[in-house]
Amino acid sequence: MAIRRYLLFAMGLVAIAPAHADESLILGVFAYRPDHLLQERYQHLTDYLSRATGIQIKLDVLNQEKMDRAIAANRVDFFLTNPSHFLLIRSERSLTGALATLVRRSDQWSTASLGGVIITRSGRDDIEQLADLRDKTIASPGLHFLGGYQAPVLELLDAGIDIRRVNLIRFLGTHDRVVRSVLSGDVDVGFIGSSILEQLASEDPELLSQVKVLNRQRLTGFPYAVSTRLYPEWPLVALPHVNERTVRKVASALFAIEPDDEVALSVGIAGFSPPADYQSVEHLARTLRVPPYDQMPELDWVDALQQYWIWVLTIMVLVLLLVAASLWLGRSKRQLAAEQRRLHQLIRGWPQAALLIRGGRFSDTNRASIDLLRYSSRELLIGRDLADISAEYQPDGQVSRQKMAPMLARVSAGQVEQCEWVLSRSDGAQIWIELSLAPVHMEDEPEALILCSLYDITRRKQGEQRRRLAASVFEYAREAIFITDKHGIVIDANDAYLAITGHPRIQAIGRMPPLPVDEGSSIFANARAQGFWSGEFASRRATGESIILSVTLSSVRGDDGKISHFVGIFSDISRLKEQERKLRLMAHYDALTGMPNRVLFADRLQQAMALTRRQGGKLAVVYIDLDEFKPVNDAFGHEAGDQLLVEIAARMRSELRAEDTLARLGGDEFASIVMNVKDISSLESLLMRFLTRLAEPVWVADHSVEVSASIGYTLFPQAEDLDGDQLLRQADQAMYQAKQQGRNRYVRFSSPSS
Amino acid sequence: MQRREFLGFSIAAGLSGAGLPGCRDSAPLRFGILPWVGYEPLYLARDFNWLPETVALVPGASAKESMEGLLSGALDGAALTLDETLRVLSKGIELVVVVVTDVSVGADVLMVRPEITELAALKGKRVAVELNGVSGIMLLKLLRVAGLDSNDVTKVDLPVSEHAGAWSRGEVEASVCYEPTASVIENSGGVRLFDSSDIPETIFDVLVVTRTAAKKNARAVRDLVSGHFAGLRHLVRSMHDSVYRIATRQGISPDEVREALASVMLPDLAANQRYLSPAGRIETTAGLLSRLMLAEGMIDQSPRIERLSDPSFLPAGDS
Repeated sequence: MAIRRYLLFAMGLVAIAPAHADESLILGVFAYRPDHLLQERYQHLTDYLSRATGIQIKLDVLNQEKMDRAIAANRVDFFLTNPSHFLLIRSERSLTGALATLVRRSDQWSTASLGGVIITRSGRDDIEQLADLRDKTIASPGLHFLGGYQAPVLELLDAGIDIRRVNLIRFLGTHDRVVRSVLSGDVDVGFIGSSILEQLASEDPELLSQVKVLNRQRLTGFPYAVSTRLYPEWPLVALPHVNERTVRKVASALFAIEPDDEVALSVGIAGFSPPADYQSVEHLARTLRVPPYDQMPELDWVDALQQYWIWVLTIMVLVLLLVAASLWLGRSKRQLAAEQRRLHQLIRGWPQAALLIRGGRFSDTNRASIDLLRYSSRELLIGRDLADISAEYQPDGQVSRQKMAPMLARVSAGQVEQCEWVLSRSDGAQIWIELSLAPVHMEDEPEALILCSLYDITRRKQGEQRRRLAASVFEYAREAIFITDKHGIVIDANDAYLAITGHPRIQAIGRMPPLPVDEGSSIFANARAQGFWSGEFASRRATGESIILSVTLSSVRGDDGKISHFVGIFSDISRLKEQERKLRLMAHYDALTGMPNRVLFADRLQQAMALTRRQGGKLAVVYIDLDEFKPVNDAFGHEAGDQLLVEIAARMRSELRAEDTLARLGGDEFASIVMNVKDISSLESLLMRFLTRLAEPVWVADHSVEVSASIGYTLFPQAEDLDGDQLLRQADQAMYQAKQQGRNRYVRFSSPSS
Repeated sequence: MQRREFLGFSIAAGLSGAGLPGCRDSAPLRFGILPWVGYEPLYLARDFNWLPETVALVPGASAKESMEGLLSGALDGAALTLDETLRVLSKGIELVVVVVTDVSVGADVLMVRPEITELAALKGKRVAVELNGVSGIMLLKLLRVAGLDSNDVTKVDLPVSEHAGAWSRGEVEASVCYEPTASVIENSGGVRLFDSSDIPETIFDVLVVTRTAAKKNARAVRDLVSGHFAGLRHLVRSMHDSVYRIATRQGISPDEVREALASVMLPDLAANQRYLSPAGRIETTAGLLSRLMLAEGMIDQSPRIERLSDPSFLPAGDS
């Protein structure tokens, strides 16, 4: 070794000789520590290089700013700086590469690697690991320091702390100041390059106990405490303007340095190694996005596509889906808006009353509703609810508001409700409406929207009531009521009809109603012409029992004025007629004998007289009074008397012809009208027969009784015009004469004047 | 004893003591690994948290453990040499090679007494060899190169870690071994007569997973492979850092790490694509090896070589 050193020294001496005074180069060394320290140390290197190359090489220790300026002005020819700073300069100056990489020496190891050291004061128990650095103040020599900034920042970034965002960082220019401010407590933590601590400790051995290194890496063979991963050491770089020959000379001089050489020892290095690969530093700068890699890397789109094609495809598909969904939504929204306008229009324009209920209250309405409810404006209706415009009670007795609530709930749930409802108009009048409630909201809509349609059925309800009344009349009337078509065929009839006619319904319908047989269709003709027909007639029940009906048949005209139906009402007047007949009998006949009484006799006489006048001929009025009737009555009682009278009457009647009349005028007095008297003799023979028949004994009350009669008669017509009374009086007078003449005889009336 | 276990035990114990993050997942890919420079990328990946929780590294002391783990089903994959892979394969466990971590270019050596100057001189000599490991393959290969028969040498079957002792006691005249045993023997006067750089692309270290895991847990396998390449990237790009980390883990100096790294080729992504392609280097080498091993009785039956390698788990691009 000694020999080699000697040789080198000799070479250096030889080389100095041809050195030209004007050929002087400057080696810029970055002042990562105090200037004088570096000046002192690196002076040995420039001296060595000057000797070895024969070129005057001067040392210039510069801070980063000054070095940048010097390099920009080509005022330095070579420079030695940290890798981060080198990358920055390289990118600005388009330098090629480093000439050599520094190999640092320690006591036993040398290394071409460096890292960052994160230190804090030994007493800081609150800072033990990287995670504790959050919110701590940090001192760093500067941005473009590898160990003093970039390497620790990456390490912390990996630990999840981006100190550039969350921490206060002070840039102090040199490592020494960082250590000092950590010691003084100005900052909590300091970042320095590897080997700094050991260099300082060689001057101040106390130091190592005053600080502690965080995140200390266990790296066998690395001579320094370090907190980060390692990077290549400082490069020595030649600027482009330096000629190649000089560069070669300098390079060979640098590589010639052996670790044990004096120059190496005095500079404190182990020499220089071939330039390291600074890729890792580049990668670091890129990762941290610090200059010169502070710009976003430009990603070639083809590369990006290749690398991220799945993402790109996924995002494109998503975007397409989104666009499609937006378009679809937009269209749906427009459709919805149109639908809503249409709904609005529909309600406003609907001729029937309609309201829209939203959330239980009217939200829209139309003219027809306002008119129906007699409101003066739409606004008065909006906001009210259905119960507000309803009568308090509905016809079924429920309170409107209570009845309404479940109904609206059902409609909200999707049902359609229809019912009759009573509304109270603004003027207080109640109207019947048919209420339809239909949901018009979608199922997923939170608020129920209900279309409420009102149809005024007040008139119909009134009509219904009338009809119901009419129907009850039809049903419950005692009179038979039937309806026929225009041809007279029964199409409906009530129960009374069936009861009276005795036909079951199926037989009654589709047949003619019971009508007078002889008059037939003329009844309908009459009803057509005059609007009605009424009459009484005899008919028969289904059982064959004869009945008398009183019928009124009315024609019903349709809208066209033509007769469409007939309505008939009849009642069974059989009983009435029977009563009438009895009354008539009582009025005109003698109750005992059944012979006409005086009234009927007078009537008959009237008729007979009229007939006789018309036809000519004669009639006779005969007055018969029984002789000795009173003793019979007295002796045997009235019963016997009555029997006697009945027998007497029957005997006399049997002598008379049909056209003749025998009447009992009262007591034991009878009168007879004998029609068509041809001559007196035939009349008198009749009277003679009377006397004979009356004289025959009569068996009454277990006794045979014999009576006689006194008979007076008169004829008609006479010379004078006489009425019936006069004729009877004449006969009476004649009878009286017969009494006087000795009874049991007949006497013709003779005028007293004659 | 298998290869790649020098220093293995203590370090594995240390690692397992330190605890492995990422074992919480219900079914992570259980992957057996040993200390070997070729497998360092995976260790780096683990240290820098580049391995997601889908992968659980199971450090072992020897390849034997890894092989047993694969056979018993305790492991879903392991870092093995290609011949070890074939041994497992021949026992009926279907394996897929998903990464070639390194190719030996001098890591495996034949150390001889200085008086032996050529391979032919090995005839009749006592050769320390670990028959059941890569050392045995190496011996077979070099005997073939030397034109010697398997019976021409006296095989002293010893675990490689015991070769140095046997050497110093004078029990053997030659040793088929690898670092660091090789350096120890060299320091004791041994001479490197032959190394794996003489039989290029023969001795591969690979990452394998079972066919089942490859099918059912493809995502974890991809994570494993990505982790390996992330570690490899750091190893190559930040050599200034990684040599110290490997040195720390292996307990050797950074310079020795550099030397160890020099004795292997670490194929990058593109090279892996090439090696793993169908009927590529891995499958052809595996075919040759399996015939050799079958002939020597190292395996009982010929394993299926088709579709042994699968490049589909390799990451798409080197970023």
